[in-house]
Amino acid sequence: MGTRIEAASALTSHGLRKPTARRLADAAARTCLAHAGREPGDVDMLINAGIYREDNMGEPALAALIQEDIGANLGQPPIGGHGTFSFDLLNGTCGVITAIQIESGLLDSGVIRLGAIVTSDVDPDHRDPGAVLLQPSGGAMLLGRDEKLAGFTDFSTETFPEYDDLLASGLVWQKRHGYRGPRQAAGQHEMVIECKPGYAARLADCAEEASRRFLRRLGMGWGEIDLVVPAPSSPEFLDALVTRLGVPGDRVAYVTEDLEGAYTTGPIAALQAAIRSGRLGEARTTLMLAAGAGITVALALYRQTPS
Amino acid sequence: MAETQAKQPDHWLALGPPGSGGSWGCRIESVGVKLPAQRLTTRDLMSQTSHRTRIQLERLTGIHERHVVGPGENSFTLAAGAARDCLAHSQHQPQDIQMLISTSITRSKGRYTQSFEPPLSLYVKQAIGAAQAANFDLSNACAGMLTGVFILQGLVARGEISCGMVVSGEYISHLSWNAARQIRSLFSKQLASLTLGDAGAAVIVERAPSGTGIDVIGFTTLAEHSRLCLAFPSMVGPGAQMYTKSRTLQKVAIDDMAPLVAEAIGEAGIDLADIDFMIPHQTSARAIRAGTREFVRRLGARPKHVVVNLEEFGNTSSTTLFVALHKYLEEQRIHKGDRVMLLALASGIEIGIAIFTVDSQVDRYGHTH
Repeated sequence: MGTRIEAASALTSHGLRKPTARRLADAAARTCLAHAGREPGDVDMLINAGIYREDNMGEPALAALIQEDIGANLGQPPIGGHGTFSFDLLNGTCGVITAIQIESGLLDSGVIRLGAIVTSDVDPDHRDPGAVLLQPSGGAMLLGRDEKLAGFTDFSTETFPEYDDLLASGLVWQKRHGYRGPRQAAGQHEMVIECKPGYAARLADCAEEASRRFLRRLGMGWGEIDLVVPAPSSPEFLDALVTRLGVPGDRVAYVTEDLEGAYTTGPIAALQAAIRSGRLGEARTTLMLAAGAGITVALALYRQTPS
Repeated sequence: MAETQAKQPDHWLALGPPGSGGSWGCRIESVGVKLPAQRLTTRDLMSQTSHRTRIQLERLTGIHERHVVGPGENSFTLAAGAARDCLAHSQHQPQDIQMLISTSITRSKGRYTQSFEPPLSLYVKQAIGAAQAANFDLSNACAGMLTGVFILQGLVARGEISCGMVVSGEYISHLSWNAARQIRSLFSKQLASLTLGDAGAAVIVERAPSGTGIDVIGFTTLAEHSRLCLAFPSMVGPGAQMYTKSRTLQKVAIDDMAPLVAEAIGEAGIDLADIDFMIPHQTSARAIRAGTREFVRRLGARPKHVVVNLEEFGNTSSTTLFVALHKYLEEQRIHKGDRVMLLALASGIEIGIAIFTVDSQVDRYGHTH
């Protein structure tokens, strides 16, 4: 018995009238449920792994709002039914793989029967659009149990805190200067993202080191990996990594052009590309790899072999 | 797909592994707290409101004072301090921790009002010397810490890890100051912001023999009521503002929590009267008393003690349950063999319930330690 990817959907803000982080996640979740032929009420756990939102709301968790929007087990708890448990998880680009690890374990032990992971980000720094390449996007994936499949079998998360200052972000209070009318705000919080030169290169270094260590621990070689599903998709990171690992390009799931620059949605966007191309279905062993601020590298091995 | 669409669980709560296939038990091994030295009385806070409110906050809520951060303190320092205190009460070393989850709503560090990346958990694990631990942050309003315990309990029960830490540092007194500038009357939706206090808390969970440790832990999100309590960055000053429909929230919580508590104690195979200490989320003494009365009426039994520590700490958000548990352990009011129920209530609405029996961890608290 193992955890099976039932569906994955990623989308950009194109076509959405007001592309907020919530609406992007809502749209992705609805599309994903439709692809899987599932109802919102089937979802036992909903984890939102998105980071950058236009309102930066502290509470409730955005996951609860998404649960309400898609209509997953609303209302009073009746005896005999089942509810949905939702919360937000923050681990940058690696958040999706961390969420898969959590839900996969809970699926294995029968705590949940269907898990959903949603992501979304909007441009966090409106003042300087060139500061960080971030494609507003949303993603969703569904994980279920399969009695015959090995599914997600191994996970690893490594951090390289010596590079923790290469990418840092946060809200900073900016006081309004000059005359202020009686109803004008005293100031506002602005998202500041600082990305130092060399971040993408260090990301590739750390991803290479962590993934080699991961496969060594499992006693596997790169020849046994049929497909790599990586994030982020930026060429500075991905091209360097793929070259150094010596993985042929046809074994890498590249995101579609419109989803290049997707942030927390990156792993789901790559997964969607792999599903659409049919390569995920053909791959016996798939390595999901994500690298982000920290520097953190998260890895997951997905085996479509008998359990 | 038919194979995966098995019959859904017949309970509303997502219930942790014991009873659903866990190979190991999971116990709460240690609890630590970091409280800022500076205190602020309700009288002093209310004397600094911009408008003459005539609100008798202390009489309404039972809060006499709360701890508030001083210069140089923030979410990170509170979380790291609590993690160190937790280790001081633990038999584990920092290098034993395999996963560390930071669960605070506020993540202030350095110049940032709210830090987003890297996750705060990375800095906490570095600060305490647990560099080898996997880490991530989660956010689930005031239910954050218990959500972290829920996740770790699953990992421990399945044997994926043997020791993990959940930590939270809540620097939330800025909500009180921002509310104090705007509140005019008792009916303000920012009233609940005046009840907040700062605190850090941490908890270590570890592997235990199967069938021991946490009896039941479960969660659900009643998302139909997701907008009853909203907090977001302030426009009047640094920090955040929170708007709460307190009466509606209390009514919904009482109505919906009773059947969920019944479900949890049913899963544990006990009665509410078997609970020695019920520790609910600390909002106001009146609300807790009203909630307890309703539980007693609906469930036909009463826990032996209901813990209220608002007088000294106020509402410390995601840390309240563990600040209260730590206080009762330090004061040696909880004894070995006592059964404790933690009851999380948070914006979302998130409802979390954990039932466990206190064991040898009590020996490491209080003046005899």
